[in-house]
Amino acid sequence: MIPKNDLSDGDLLRLMLAGDEEALALLYRRRQATVYRFALQMCGSKTIAEDVTQEVFLFLMREGHVFDPARGALSSFLLGVARNHVLRRLRVEQLLAPLGDDPDEEVPLHASSDDCPLEDLTRAETIESVRKAVLSLPTKYREVVVLCELQDVSYVETAEILGCAIGTVRSRLHRARALLLEKLRPVAEIEETGAASVKSARCFA
Amino acid sequence: MNDEEMLTRGLKALAAEMDQLEAPADVERKVLEAFRARQVVRPISARRWNARYWVAAAVAAMLLIAVSVVAYRLNRRVDDQRNAVKQEQPQSVPKVDDKTINQEQVAGVQEQEPLATVVRPKHVRHTNVHRPENTQLANHVNTEVATDFIPLTYMTPVNLQDGGQIVRVELPRSALANFGLPVNMDRYNEKVKADVLLGVDGMAHAIRFVQ
Repeated sequence: MIPKNDLSDGDLLRLMLAGDEEALALLYRRRQATVYRFALQMCGSKTIAEDVTQEVFLFLMREGHVFDPARGALSSFLLGVARNHVLRRLRVEQLLAPLGDDPDEEVPLHASSDDCPLEDLTRAETIESVRKAVLSLPTKYREVVVLCELQDVSYVETAEILGCAIGTVRSRLHRARALLLEKLRPVAEIEETGAASVKSARCFA
Repeated sequence: MNDEEMLTRGLKALAAEMDQLEAPADVERKVLEAFRARQVVRPISARRWNARYWVAAAVAAMLLIAVSVVAYRLNRRVDDQRNAVKQEQPQSVPKVDDKTINQEQVAGVQEQEPLATVVRPKHVRHTNVHRPENTQLANHVNTEVATDFIPLTYMTPVNLQDGGQIVRVELPRSALANFGLPVNMDRYNEKVKADVLLGVDGMAHAIRFVQ
């Protein structure tokens, strides 16, 4: 008999729908991180990401029979469900303002390198600025960046998840990268000009 | 390093930083609790199926009732129509005054042919069920050609005083010759239709041939 750990997602789903709790636990542990990270990267809120993760697996319990292996992998199916939940939450709560101001909602990013603290700090700042830039993108561009660049999902799977053509994914990603560059470029320039203005102010004082 | 490369590195760094993030254990606990509760209580899908079942049953019952009402009303109309036809169809020839009856009047019976009176009653809705019958009847009335009534030798006006009946019969075509009518010898063996006027005594008083 094959151990349950070695079973495919589809087999675990079938067992889970038959009432096997262990199958659900295995499936959850196998796929929860992907769903959680996607939700977190899409909305920037840990609370919403947790809710979405829970709702995705509750949906899988209720409507798991609608999953068709011929149409794609279970991970893509779960990401598609997660996307729908995230978009719904974003619409309802209108989380269009930059997130992360609440200390409880801060996403812990650990640049753990003991060699050079200054380099770690710079890297952490860069990551934070990129994260905020991604969060400020329009939803249709943000989801493409999150899936293709951050989740490393293929274009084909991304197209399945978003329900659009691969060409659309490519064009949206291209546009999203251009927008990110625009958003990240002024930051450096502002920092430079801001430092200069502070210096001159001191002179005047 | 150009901007594109910097952006790619920044995105990869962000992905690497978030790569180890997972949902809190609390979420797994809630999911498993929900799964157990769902197993204990009742499957939601089963409840939905039951709801669908009841809705479908209700719709089926309503359809059955509607069909039954329509069928009942149709049957009532059919009965009404049949009753109306029966009432309008004369069962006998009206009484004839013995002083006025003569050969012309006997021939005039043709105008009071019962078949001609069996036309569809007023205010009766025609359905496909009855159309063939009515159509057949109408065709029968419109397409028949009949001779005048020919009195038989033993006919007397008194015999028709109390009424009579017209009976459709088939006779050998040779019978036409007995009444002085031309006979097509090529169709000598065929039958010919005739209406016989019977008195209340059951005796034949007149005859006409129908084609």
